[in-house]
Amino acid sequence: MTAQTALLDKAPGFKHSRPVRDSASRSRRIKYTLTVLAFLLPSAIPLTLFVLGPMVAAAWVSLNQWNLLGPMKFVGFGNYIGLLKDPQTGAVFLHTVYYIVGYLPLVYFGGLALALALNTALKGRSLLRGIYFLPVITSWIVVALVWRWLLSPSNGIVNTVLAMVGIHGPGWWTDPTWSLPSIILASAWKDLGFVMVILLAGLQAIPTDLYDAAKVDGAGPWRRLISVTLPLLSPSTFFVIVISLVNGFQVFDQIYAMTGGGPNGSSESVVEQIYDFTFRYGRAGDASALSWMLFIVILAVTLIQIRGQKRWVTYG
Amino acid sequence: MVDAASGLRVPKRRTFRTPEARTRLILAIVLHVVIVAGALAMFFPFLWTLITSITPGANLTNTPALIPANPSLGAYGKLFADLPFAQVILNSLILATITTVAQLITASTAAYAFSRLPFRGQNVVFGIYLATMMIPLQVLIVPLFVELKNFGLLDTYVGALLPTLAIAFGIFLLRQAINQVPRELDEAATIDGAGHFRMFWQIILPNIRPALATLVIFSFMGSWNSFLWPLIVLRSPQLQTLPIALAGLQGQYISQWDVIMAGSVVSILPMLALYVFAQKYVIQGVASSGIK
Amino acid sequence: MNRKLVGALAVAGVAVLVMTGCAASAPKADSGPVTITYTNFISDGANVPNLTKIVTAFEKANPKITVNVKTIPYSGYATAQQTDLAAGTASDVFDIDGHSNYESLQANGQLAELGGVDSKVYNSGLLDTYQTAGKQYALPTSFSDVVLYYNKDLFDAAGVSYPTSSWTWADETAAAKKITDQAKGIWGDHQPVTYNEYYKALVQNGASFLSKDGKKTAFDTSAGLAAAKWLVDKSGTTMPTIADGQGTADFDTNLFAAGKLAMLHTGTWVFGNFAKVPFNWDIAVEPGNTQSASAVFSNGIGVYAKSKHIAAAEKWAIYMSSSTEEVNVRLDSGWELPTISDSAKLATYLSKGAPANRQAVFDAATKIAVSPSLGANSQAIQDAMTAALIEAQAGRETVQQALDSAKAKIDPLLAG
Repeated sequence: MTAQTALLDKAPGFKHSRPVRDSASRSRRIKYTLTVLAFLLPSAIPLTLFVLGPMVAAAWVSLNQWNLLGPMKFVGFGNYIGLLKDPQTGAVFLHTVYYIVGYLPLVYFGGLALALALNTALKGRSLLRGIYFLPVITSWIVVALVWRWLLSPSNGIVNTVLAMVGIHGPGWWTDPTWSLPSIILASAWKDLGFVMVILLAGLQAIPTDLYDAAKVDGAGPWRRLISVTLPLLSPSTFFVIVISLVNGFQVFDQIYAMTGGGPNGSSESVVEQIYDFTFRYGRAGDASALSWMLFIVILAVTLIQIRGQKRWVTYG
Repeated sequence: MVDAASGLRVPKRRTFRTPEARTRLILAIVLHVVIVAGALAMFFPFLWTLITSITPGANLTNTPALIPANPSLGAYGKLFADLPFAQVILNSLILATITTVAQLITASTAAYAFSRLPFRGQNVVFGIYLATMMIPLQVLIVPLFVELKNFGLLDTYVGALLPTLAIAFGIFLLRQAINQVPRELDEAATIDGAGHFRMFWQIILPNIRPALATLVIFSFMGSWNSFLWPLIVLRSPQLQTLPIALAGLQGQYISQWDVIMAGSVVSILPMLALYVFAQKYVIQGVASSGIK
Repeated sequence: MNRKLVGALAVAGVAVLVMTGCAASAPKADSGPVTITYTNFISDGANVPNLTKIVTAFEKANPKITVNVKTIPYSGYATAQQTDLAAGTASDVFDIDGHSNYESLQANGQLAELGGVDSKVYNSGLLDTYQTAGKQYALPTSFSDVVLYYNKDLFDAAGVSYPTSSWTWADETAAAKKITDQAKGIWGDHQPVTYNEYYKALVQNGASFLSKDGKKTAFDTSAGLAAAKWLVDKSGTTMPTIADGQGTADFDTNLFAAGKLAMLHTGTWVFGNFAKVPFNWDIAVEPGNTQSASAVFSNGIGVYAKSKHIAAAEKWAIYMSSSTEEVNVRLDSGWELPTISDSAKLATYLSKGAPANRQAVFDAATKIAVSPSLGANSQAIQDAMTAALIEAQAGRETVQQALDSAKAKIDPLLAG
């Protein structure tokens, strides 16, 4: 079984350079290939047909000018060049990165603290978990309405409380400087429960005997968190960070619902721009080109994470 | 009843004799207060939704009254009278259930392949799977729609379902979980002569129940709340799903907020029930799986 | 290596499959029973039963035609419509969301010319909205216009006389200032600060958004500046500021319904919101400055150029926009106003209760501030204008600066 447990890169594949010696190993290899296919095809077929295919089609669209209604006009890399020259493109990427930098630490550490707290023998923890999960299942339409009200500059709860301690609250989503922080706050609040659920499942998978062993070794609670919980939670943490980054780069719903990209484009994100290009401004070619630019950025960031994970993610 | 993971230990017997015990008690109290306060903050929007839904002709911009002036369930009645609401809920339930089951199958098998069946180029293939999450849906909609037209699948649940089967999110989630299952278990099973299919079914799946339950929640939620794709692909009134029917309450010029909020409450409750159910399963699943 | 090749070919094959639309087949004359499809958003929500009534009446009058109705929520309609047209799967007849939607559909050849329309039946201003180069490509199904709502009780309390059709901006400002009492939370006026209000205010002030040839903006004049100031300067003096919540959904109608707003510029679609308010209110045609002009919004209906049943589809489009049954269903249920010219048929509308001055709805529609033809970048231009006006409203730019930056953004968009 060394093949199965070896590092993936070093594993023997279907097409090994070693010559096939006998029919027994050949039939074993065919059987193995069929096994791999049986496990992979149920997802690979829809993936190829319904995601990769449309992605390639979008790549083709990105080389054309197209308003969806009329005929396509081939422009080569004209859309990409036009986008790279347009200062708006830099702005929407900057807003998106700003969002991620604010959102990710908030939602990760908040979600981790929540998962740890709700993994204790707290009274009514099932109820509490349910309540913390409520925002995740509430639609952005409702959440945006509530947060716009909470962060209302003149009579919102947040500014009222700030005024009590002598701080003059900002204009939040009505102010270009504060529109993204407002969206970050609302998003972190909404997604806390998501991170909590993933990490709770990760915590459940940690064998309890490891804690017992640590206790026997005289490790205190803090020590056990650092040396047992966090390392063993690292696969879940890795998952949360990759997913949050991918989602963060695609931030759209909350911006659409809270500010519509305003005021004056100050919270316009990449995907908001892609949506506007496609369905509002009749620029499907630019939308596809921008999508591919976004894709390359996300891919690069994810690859860096996958390279980096070997240093800190430990599997069972 | 003590969980070391939190770093906060609540003693069974309350002994305040040592300073250490007292510190622990204070910490526990602080923890409870923070958690409950946080829970209130989390609960507030739902409460707001609930109150708006029973306030006839509700406003949105004014500060919500905690006790509505003349509460009424009229909005809920209207929901069922104006819309084919029972039909719509049933449609959403069917689609979400099928989607969840189908995604569990495609995600768990693929995750097993990526975790336990090494093959050449595996990392590249997994990279391609992950990459499919990185292109925004908005730009894929038109090509996907044209493709389904060519397959003759427009206005069918199959058409609504198929593109959701390649769920990289679920595959990634389950792969992380399977990677955590100790390899000694595989080896023991292999010695017993188990092949990959038996191993998958008897060893891996029971050991990743928390992750499976998590995926059930998110798959179901994804389908239950899905708006853009079903809107585009499902056109016949008898196929309509809940989010689309609810969107119909927000008109070109005016919106009936009390009815919208009533619809919102009705759409949240089944999800909440599923979540509570699945969470219990997470805990029980682990208790009975007996990882050594 | 061939495995990789196979994989690449498979993906490429799929891509071809994805992008191939099907060739349009030539329309043929209808004989025998036909089924046409109609995709709409107008019945969205509460009006499905009303639409069904009209469809039933149509099918009874035309036994050989069946209408298959598909209803899409308004919020998703634009997306669905464009996807359908891109894929060539649009319905035989579909709704058109006003003038700028019409322009882009027509310019891209998506609409069939309607040959059998009796133009006398329709309100001519509304019918013109859906004409290009003298040919009719769509029909108006309903219209609403923007009027001045006013709270009579607040006017009485401040001793100000009610708005009339001869009012100008100066009269409105004077009344608003007199009634505004910020300490009590009473505001004199509310008008959205948006592109839609601005192009209308320009016409009211004898100016226009576009130059005569339509190739560049023309609001960089003193009249254009005055029109922008007319909107922006209300904020914080007679109208709540953005920080107070101005500009959020339903803010203005809620404020009016709460009896805290004396004058409200909004569409006739909110009559129902004020059916039960505990004060007296009425409407008037909006004041102009140098001339009277009102914004009129209509929904249209068009026939898909690639429809296989153009004749039957046109029949339905005409029925859905001007038949007696359609007019009666709309008037009986209060489902927006029909677009016919025969005022006798509309008489019942005038006596349907508050507001008393329902005649103003029709008067406003006689002097229409025609919405400018902005071409392919229409939506981007509208968004840029609104954003610039809001910058001025929030005080981050002066009105002049905002207009300058709007012009700099919009002129290139007009050029294409």
